[in-house]
Amino acid sequence: MALTGIACLTVFFFASSCKRQPTTWEVEVAIPLVDDLLDWSEVVGDSIVTIESGAPAVIRFDGVISELDFESLAQLPDTLVAQQLTPDFSGGPFEIPPGAVLLDIEEDITFQGIDQQFTSIVLKSGRIEYSVESSTDGYVEMQYNFPSVMVAGQPVELEVVLPPSVSGQFQIETGVIDLSGASIDLTGTSGDEVNRIASELMIGTPAFIEDTAQVYGSDSILVSMHFRDLLVQQVAGYFGQEALDFDVEQKVFDSEVFTGGFLEINPTRALLSFNNTLAADIRLDLDALQVDGINVGHEQLGIPQFISRADWSSGEVEPAVWTMDLLETGPDIFELLGYLPEWVTVQGDGLLNPLGDVSGGQDFYDSRYPPQLKLDLEWPLRGVIDQFGIEQTFDFSGADLPHFEGDLVLRLTNGFPISWEFNVEWMHPNGAFESEFFEGSVPSFSDEYSDSSAMEWRIPVSELQLIGPSQFVFSAHMDSEGEVIFTGNERLRLQVAIEGTHQVAVE
Amino acid sequence: MRKSIPLFSLKVGALLVWSFLVIPIANAHFLQTSSSNDAWTDSTAIDDETSDKSSFLPWSLTVWGQHRSNTMDHQLGQLLVRGGNIERSLVDAARKVQGGQMGTFGFSSGFQLQARSKHMWKETNLRLCGSMQVRWIGDSRWTPEMYDLVLIGNAGHLGRRDVLDGTGARSSAWINAALGVEGKHQNRAELGLVYRPFQYEGVIETGYFYVNESLDDLHASLRAKARISRKAGWGLSLNAEWHFLREEAPFAFHVQLRNFGAVLAPNPLRFEVDTMLETSGLPLTGAGWSIASLQEEGAVEGLYTVDSSGVDLQLLPGRLDMSFEYPLTPRMGWDVQVQVGEWMPLPRAISGLRRAFGKHWQVGVQLVAGGWGRARPAAWARWRMPNERAVMIYIEDPWGWGGGSAYGRGITLRYESL
Repeated sequence: MALTGIACLTVFFFASSCKRQPTTWEVEVAIPLVDDLLDWSEVVGDSIVTIESGAPAVIRFDGVISELDFESLAQLPDTLVAQQLTPDFSGGPFEIPPGAVLLDIEEDITFQGIDQQFTSIVLKSGRIEYSVESSTDGYVEMQYNFPSVMVAGQPVELEVVLPPSVSGQFQIETGVIDLSGASIDLTGTSGDEVNRIASELMIGTPAFIEDTAQVYGSDSILVSMHFRDLLVQQVAGYFGQEALDFDVEQKVFDSEVFTGGFLEINPTRALLSFNNTLAADIRLDLDALQVDGINVGHEQLGIPQFISRADWSSGEVEPAVWTMDLLETGPDIFELLGYLPEWVTVQGDGLLNPLGDVSGGQDFYDSRYPPQLKLDLEWPLRGVIDQFGIEQTFDFSGADLPHFEGDLVLRLTNGFPISWEFNVEWMHPNGAFESEFFEGSVPSFSDEYSDSSAMEWRIPVSELQLIGPSQFVFSAHMDSEGEVIFTGNERLRLQVAIEGTHQVAVE
Repeated sequence: MRKSIPLFSLKVGALLVWSFLVIPIANAHFLQTSSSNDAWTDSTAIDDETSDKSSFLPWSLTVWGQHRSNTMDHQLGQLLVRGGNIERSLVDAARKVQGGQMGTFGFSSGFQLQARSKHMWKETNLRLCGSMQVRWIGDSRWTPEMYDLVLIGNAGHLGRRDVLDGTGARSSAWINAALGVEGKHQNRAELGLVYRPFQYEGVIETGYFYVNESLDDLHASLRAKARISRKAGWGLSLNAEWHFLREEAPFAFHVQLRNFGAVLAPNPLRFEVDTMLETSGLPLTGAGWSIASLQEEGAVEGLYTVDSSGVDLQLLPGRLDMSFEYPLTPRMGWDVQVQVGEWMPLPRAISGLRRAFGKHWQVGVQLVAGGWGRARPAAWARWRMPNERAVMIYIEDPWGWGGGSAYGRGITLRYESL
């Protein structure tokens, strides 16, 4: 303690002679802050879209719009199986020699609450939580075999030996059997059933322990097996006639970003397709196709479409494909899309196995290959652009730059062959400052050696303008005045830098 | 929170007190040598080997404090330490002085108590000795470019790559209680128990910063480490002195080793940064580096790692002093001293003249170079009092006590019971 005191006194001696006040000085900073690009990928707004550069560039989309989820096929309900063995006498004790069999039964475990008729499954994951309890004054041996449940090529077998219980207390053993990857035959002990697991339970006294059990009429042996969280990877059987909901809603253009105008879209290919990967027939009833609430007509709409089952005979899926050519819609769906709508919706329903069990229980589903609704689109970037507007809002949480005096340097570089009319609004939500507006026209990109397509503004800013939260709203629009061919490399570049003097303060 | 000193340290303290005060005192012949310490210049006076007539235990107490920089004068240093507004003219002046060299600033302060028993140990020529030191030192270094970035800003040198390698700061304080034996000519060796309440250190191993002239290209890289003690550390150290003092030799030579040892530091906070940014500006939104993501809470936490597991073995900032003294006349001498270690960026070299006035006074003037600063003068005076005691004052850079344009100052006071 004395040593620490001396050290503290020394530190205090040197520190106490200094009465600290903030140290301040001014520094001149110049730093680039923002460099953001607006290109065609922002316009089409989907990472699956690819843009092939050229004259004209081609936007391609060949991907999945939505997937059909079959929850009833993908998960089995939790199932509890319990066995209680009690002597059929009262009083006792009766001596039970080693190696005696008290119970030996074969029975099916039935999964309840399944409307389908499953004959086999392969599990993605799942487990059996088991518990064995005995109040017998002697060793008890239990063997529970599931010959139709195979894990890594071996049947699941559970063997438990419980030691003698003392004065009526239960000896208990619990555990978990992991069923991940398990292959399960659900045809039961007869081989003709559905949704049943064959099992064999044997309870007795172990032959390899020299012990005579003393059994009373009040003794009991309890066995419970709880099948839990069974997620299916593959399932076979008959899936029944299940109704399918087929409402799809796809966001196309964000109205907060694309504020209006017209963008001519003339695709050369636009196929909507449904890939049936189930080995089960599907009937599709598409009632309506709408663009922001406007109905689009097509000869396949409103008429039931029968889609045959997929072929799994080779072990690989050969889906059955149904297609709809969107270039044959009326009114033209792409003319409607040119006005930058927010939503495209497809409404309808479907039915699984519309003709019943025509395959004789040979339906098959693999959860890794769900049925998909796909779009194959090819769109050459050539056409008219009329008052095409975009807007982006950026929230600035504020920066503490004491005594800052300088400029916010705003630079726009236009890589489009069309000039952009540009607006910036700097808004201060707390009302401390009036909103500031800046506007201008950024000339079109014409000559790669010319810098005339860049514009720079210097906006004087102060500490008080920067310290609070504020919003920058960037908006721009362009007008092609006729057909334009785009190469796909067009970009609008926004750069922000800060340059000025601020005071550093060290407390 | 109340902290307790382990029982072991109390026992060691009691043993020291006991060894200084209770060991029987006997007549002994000894040479009177003033020990050098941080800001000290050795002044060796070979006294007659007379019987020890003092009734006191021979001991000395030295207190010192000094700070120095090779670029920042007092005025700028005081503003940085004590606060206030730094005018640009001061910043520019220091930058001009620094030129292309590394800037340095360091300080050293503390006190040292030394004693030895009056009696020889049994029939030997050895006697028990001991010392206790309390030291607090600090060291910081910076590149000229780092100085520009921090105190001037980057706007004035766009297009230049600012190299930050080697910039760092560290500070440590510790207490060393040592016990040993002293032989002939005051040659001594001590083993010390070290208690170190805190130490911090941070250094940029490699780093640079670059913004181009058109303000659309920024390159920054930083690989740095820092370590801060969270708990007090304990360790061992060795102190040793060897003096060449002979009646027949016309000169004297001294070697001193202080705080040569190590400390075990439990669970220090270790920070590491290894990151690079090359950008023409950040996108407004998006994952990774973007303006929006950087404004989110905890955005910078992924840039560094923190670890506090285990125990670190850290060397003490020990120091080695070597001095040479040569008498020019019976009352005048010349001495040279070199000090290395204790985190000084350069060895500290001292050379000076001494002169005796009467039987009780000695004075000296010196030129000091190296350490944390440039060449500066120093002066000292020693008064040997009639009652077997002596006091000494040493002032480094006397001009540093009067004006703001000097680059450091230092003072040492010493009291000796002979």
